[in-house]
Amino acid sequence: MIKLLHVEDDADIREIALMALELSGDFDVVQCETGEAALNQVQGYTPDVILLDMMMPGMTGRQTLEKMREMDSLREVPAIFMTARAQHNEIEELRQLGAADVISKPFDPISLADQVKSAMQAG
Amino acid sequence: MSSHLTTKRTAGSFFLSSVLAGGWYTTTSAVLSGPTADSVPVVGAIALAGLVPLVAPMIWANTKTENANLNMAQKLQAFDSHAIVNIVDTKGLLEEVNDRFLALTGYSREQLIGQPVAMLYDDRFKALASEISSSLKRGETWQGETPLRCANGQMICTQVTVMPLYDEKGKWTGSITARTDVTRANQLLAERDTAETLDELRDDIWIVDAQTHNLSYMNRSAMRRVGWTDSAYTDRTLEDLAQETDCENILNACEALKSSDESMTQFVTELKGKDFQATIKMLQIGRAPGRFLIMLHDITDQVNEERTKSEFISMVSHELRSPLTSIKGSMGLLLSRAAGELPTKARALLEISHRNADRLVLIINDILDLEKIANGRLEFDLQETDIADLLRETSDANATLEQRFDVNIQVENTSKPVTLTTDPNRVIQVLTNLLSNAAKFSKPGDRILVSLEHTDEEIRVSVSDKGQGIPAGEQHKVFQRFADLSNSNRAAKGGTGLGLSVCKAIVENLGGKIGFDSREGFGTTFYFTLPKKHSQMGAKETAPLMREAS
Repeated sequence: MIKLLHVEDDADIREIALMALELSGDFDVVQCETGEAALNQVQGYTPDVILLDMMMPGMTGRQTLEKMREMDSLREVPAIFMTARAQHNEIEELRQLGAADVISKPFDPISLADQVKSAMQAG
Repeated sequence: MSSHLTTKRTAGSFFLSSVLAGGWYTTTSAVLSGPTADSVPVVGAIALAGLVPLVAPMIWANTKTENANLNMAQKLQAFDSHAIVNIVDTKGLLEEVNDRFLALTGYSREQLIGQPVAMLYDDRFKALASEISSSLKRGETWQGETPLRCANGQMICTQVTVMPLYDEKGKWTGSITARTDVTRANQLLAERDTAETLDELRDDIWIVDAQTHNLSYMNRSAMRRVGWTDSAYTDRTLEDLAQETDCENILNACEALKSSDESMTQFVTELKGKDFQATIKMLQIGRAPGRFLIMLHDITDQVNEERTKSEFISMVSHELRSPLTSIKGSMGLLLSRAAGELPTKARALLEISHRNADRLVLIINDILDLEKIANGRLEFDLQETDIADLLRETSDANATLEQRFDVNIQVENTSKPVTLTTDPNRVIQVLTNLLSNAAKFSKPGDRILVSLEHTDEEIRVSVSDKGQGIPAGEQHKVFQRFADLSNSNRAAKGGTGLGLSVCKAIVENLGGKIGFDSREGFGTTFYFTLPKKHSQMGAKETAPLMREAS
């Protein structure tokens, strides 16, 4: 099973993403509502992949990833951003930050699991 | 005053004659002796006393005339040295011109004498010539300003006095014209007026010598901006200004303009904490080194407004996308049977909802794109692209259209690579839009043909359908936003009403053209061209962000 940490402030989107990922049967999903909660979560937990919403109250997805990258255990873990503002320059910036992929919202729940897996392989 | 002088001179004559007569009598009486000793002094004294008052005024009169003539000659010499003089006969032919006239106009005397004076004026002066002629015929002097054509064709401006001339019998014989060259004075006045006008502008104006970079002019607004007073710009250079105001990019742009074929450049720059639209124009007069006219228009408010608007649209887009993610995600999961099998009718209704949620996403994307295009902020990522490969891939990626609309998409002339510098993702966006339109308006079973042609300079992609076509009377509306064509049935077909506007803006920003040929009832071919070498200068003025792939 792939250990996936999903950070998303919107409860509905968290639920849809959870259902979509569980459909494939390949993911063990842990979800957090904020970046701060995610940083607490990873103290005793090392995911195989991180799925991060970009726009969140408090710490943004980018800030959360930057903090995570300071931790030895998470320095190499593939991170995938989900964003409703997927502009070309932003995508490039996120990739330079170490993002394995950037998924635009609204995303297709049916192909979400495959998108995550292929990003992990590419990363 | 004259009679007083005459009286004085008459008295003087008598006084002189008395002195001379007295002197003669005394002298000759003392000197002479004999028979003439009595008569000569008396006769001589009487003669002197009688003749001197008669002769003296005659002598004085001659002296006065000579003095007057000398005086007049000096005056004429001064007049001749100062003024440009010509004499014209009653037929308007030049009879005489002075040396100054020749020196100023560059004509020789032979070129002018006997020629009509009208040759010295341009056509706009005809009404004025008639006015002067009427004044002269009435015996009046005319004064005013007239242009004068020099031998090299250049027009100079002269302040003129024209007087009628008469012969000794009072018959009109022509006119004499005295002129002063006021071209330079007029220029100075015009320059002063221009400077005063420029001082009233809110824009900053700098005029810089293209060779030395010396500042030759700054208007009041420009001086205030950099904190200078009066004419502090004299003896300063663009380099000084760049150092003081941190505007090296203006200096660099001037340098770049010198070595470019272009005569003007525009860009947005920052100066003293404000945003400016800078326009630099190279003014080249003849073979002189030329000057840079630098105009800075404060767009700080505009930039802030655009930033606010852009942030608002971006925020609205984000706020719409989040609930749409949930709506579309839920429906997608339901349709994928994640929650079990659905009744047929429920599934059909859910498909309608899902399709329209998709449409809403497209509308949001198009609105965002159009907003960015309008503000010149749509990003283009230019890369070497094999357009043949791109057409095949895009057509394959749109295979769902074939299933949904029961059409067959075929791609032609893409067996060999055709490369060009463009933004592949934007080309895919355009092609997807055209394919989607073609599919929507095709009949079930129809073929949609995607074709590629190319020359050394450009490529041309066409997408042809055999659908209902666009009515001739409505073809002009095709690229308008939310254009409601009578047979488009946009709501039912799932169009956004913005797609073709976005396509047009993208193609034009990539330096190409988009168009269509359509016959109602027979189908439509949409096509677009793109240059093989994308030129950023060729893009539209609201230049979007262009980036060459590294």
